Amino acid sequence: MNLERIMQIDRRIVYLFVAAGTILPIVFVIGLPVSITPPVQMAFDRMEDLDPGDVIMVSFDYGPSSAPENAPMADAALRHCFSKGIRVIVIALYPLGGLSEAVNELNKVVAEFPDLEYGVDYVNLGYKDGAQAAMRKMNENIHEVFPTDVRGTPISEIPLMREVRTYADLELCFSLATGIIGEWWANLVNAQFGLPVIVGPTAVSAPKYYAYLEAKQMAGLLGGLKGASEYERLVLDKYPDLERVYATPGLYTATKGMDVQSIVHLIMIAFILFGNVVYFTGKRRPRKAA
Amino acid sequence: MRKQVPLLLTFCAGMIPIVALFVPERHVSTVSTTLDSWLIIVAGFALLLGVVNVVQMNTNKIRRKTSGWPYAVVLLAGLAIMGTFGFAGAFGGFGGIATRLDGTSTPFDWLYQNAFLPLQGTMFALLAFFMASASYRAFRARNVEATILLIAALIVMFGRIPFGEMVTKWFPLTTEWIMAKPNMAAQRGIMIGAGLGAASMALRVIVGIERSYLGLGKGE
Amino acid sequence: MPSLGTWLAAFFTLCMLSFLYKDNPFFRIAESFFAGLSLGYYIGIVANQTLKPNLVLPLADNFSANWHLLFAGGLGVMLYFRYIKRVAWVSRWALAVYVGYYVGVNMMQKLHGEVLPQVGDTMLSLSWSGIGTLWNVVMVVGVLSVLIYFYFSAEHKGAVGGISRVGIWFLMVSFGAAFGYTVMGRISLLIGRMVFLVNEWARPLIGLIT
Repeated sequence: MNLERIMQIDRRIVYLFVAAGTILPIVFVIGLPVSITPPVQMAFDRMEDLDPGDVIMVSFDYGPSSAPENAPMADAALRHCFSKGIRVIVIALYPLGGLSEAVNELNKVVAEFPDLEYGVDYVNLGYKDGAQAAMRKMNENIHEVFPTDVRGTPISEIPLMREVRTYADLELCFSLATGIIGEWWANLVNAQFGLPVIVGPTAVSAPKYYAYLEAKQMAGLLGGLKGASEYERLVLDKYPDLERVYATPGLYTATKGMDVQSIVHLIMIAFILFGNVVYFTGKRRPRKAA
Repeated sequence: MRKQVPLLLTFCAGMIPIVALFVPERHVSTVSTTLDSWLIIVAGFALLLGVVNVVQMNTNKIRRKTSGWPYAVVLLAGLAIMGTFGFAGAFGGFGGIATRLDGTSTPFDWLYQNAFLPLQGTMFALLAFFMASASYRAFRARNVEATILLIAALIVMFGRIPFGEMVTKWFPLTTEWIMAKPNMAAQRGIMIGAGLGAASMALRVIVGIERSYLGLGKGE
Repeated sequence: MPSLGTWLAAFFTLCMLSFLYKDNPFFRIAESFFAGLSLGYYIGIVANQTLKPNLVLPLADNFSANWHLLFAGGLGVMLYFRYIKRVAWVSRWALAVYVGYYVGVNMMQKLHGEVLPQVGDTMLSLSWSGIGTLWNVVMVVGVLSVLIYFYFSAEHKGAVGGISRVGIWFLMVSFGAAFGYTVMGRISLLIGRMVFLVNEWARPLIGLIT
């Protein structure tokens, strides 16, 4: 068969390969192992350095457009905190879905830890507009930025928030970020106010974050689904009790997602290599005279 | 007054956060943090500005019956449904916009989970297909630069998946080296260049050389 | 059986995916509905999470301590004057404050939070102390050559041209890496939707997971 004719195949055939490569590993889970990279290990170690009772902020800076990447990071980070007894203040700064992601992910993880008490072990302060303005103001007074929690309870009535007024009362911020908001935590909050920051960005923006990480403007980095799967593994290794959660049938985890990544990546690599083989074969062959 | 006052306001609003960083004095920080509080609110109003624009555009489309006007009706219906639950939620209607205390969904959250999330999620998921098709047809080692790009891409693609790690540990190690050294250096170069460019543009806005955002020309 | 919500979500997911075959009314309806929902979502979060707790309640509860917020509310309302022709110029005042503030904040973020730390961290020791020094050289050469590539005040000929070519190679490595990561990101999004379709819709439908 003429190789160049194969190059002209309908784009929908390529789509079918991608769809099949995605669906099959979801139906038949392979369970490939995940290795740990230094940026994720740094994030995990920084969290492990915290003591039970310490307070951190988890900022939901993503929406449905990147939830399959960011949500497993959020789940793993929250499970890590609650397993270790770290108290969590949840906020959202991303307008298009950040609030709902924060509400639903927190609800899901909290249900796995029946002993947790709202307002004592964790609190959801909800969403705020004007992300940079809110980030700056929180250095002076978090209570003025979030006068109520997500359901309208005055912040003064929340026991946990009586201990926390500014960034100085927090140990670090863990941002799950879809775009530029994660960068703001590094180049604004960390740079100007000194709060240590861990960012879990989408894979698309992860390469840029390496510059912040190298310059020590961030304490750790979870790049995309791979970063999330590594964090899941680290948390599971340290807190085996969480196996009860991650073994739930049908539960979407980043580690299971990496099975799919393996297959679809291989399909794409094969397509790219094949395209290049055809390209070079065509170049070598002398063109027929017109 | 219609031209000079906005320029003066831009200058003052722009200088306050800059001065506040260099002058750790109580009065300065009070002014700066008060402005922060205000801008949280103004940003909220600004976000809704887009809603007014879209409503205006789509009602005009329906009134003039331009091509595809029924889709404008669908858009406005979506806006009306979600907006009503959202606005009413601000006054405690329909249980607010988060979930209820018992964990059940409010109408706003239900719509988010079952309409907004799948729609936006799938919209972006389509990109995976387009990317596969485009790289099959166009990702070629045509010259030195394209070859470097292709090799780096293939190593990173292979090194970031469990299968690549199983083949040889050198794939993840090389990938991490690419990310942490040459990639980081290039990103840093871009960051420094773009940072200086953005800062000089900001300065032009603050001192009133750049006025196009106000709808004013250079000489006005 | 899947719930009504799951059916709706599956319907919208399939409407969107139908675009892969070709553009069609189902896709266009879903797309328009999505745009409308996004704007409605903004109304909900802004009214519920910002305007109510940060403007309305503070003014209603303690006006004497929070009266200054009237300025913020006033500036916000002024933005909408652009729709009234006779007083449209007033909206420029609010826009000026809005743009001025964010430009000022952004300028310091760029200079203080990006340029200075990144430049500082590039000042690496180049005296030989093992393989680490070689990587330091890679980083310093990479940063400088990329900066020279973006320096357009001198013609890219001779030494400048040579260095900027090295800069292009570094950029290509970075773009290649970014491509690899972007593939991963896009596939992740597809996984999210497919996991929903398979595990939450199809499997309960055929009774594999109840």
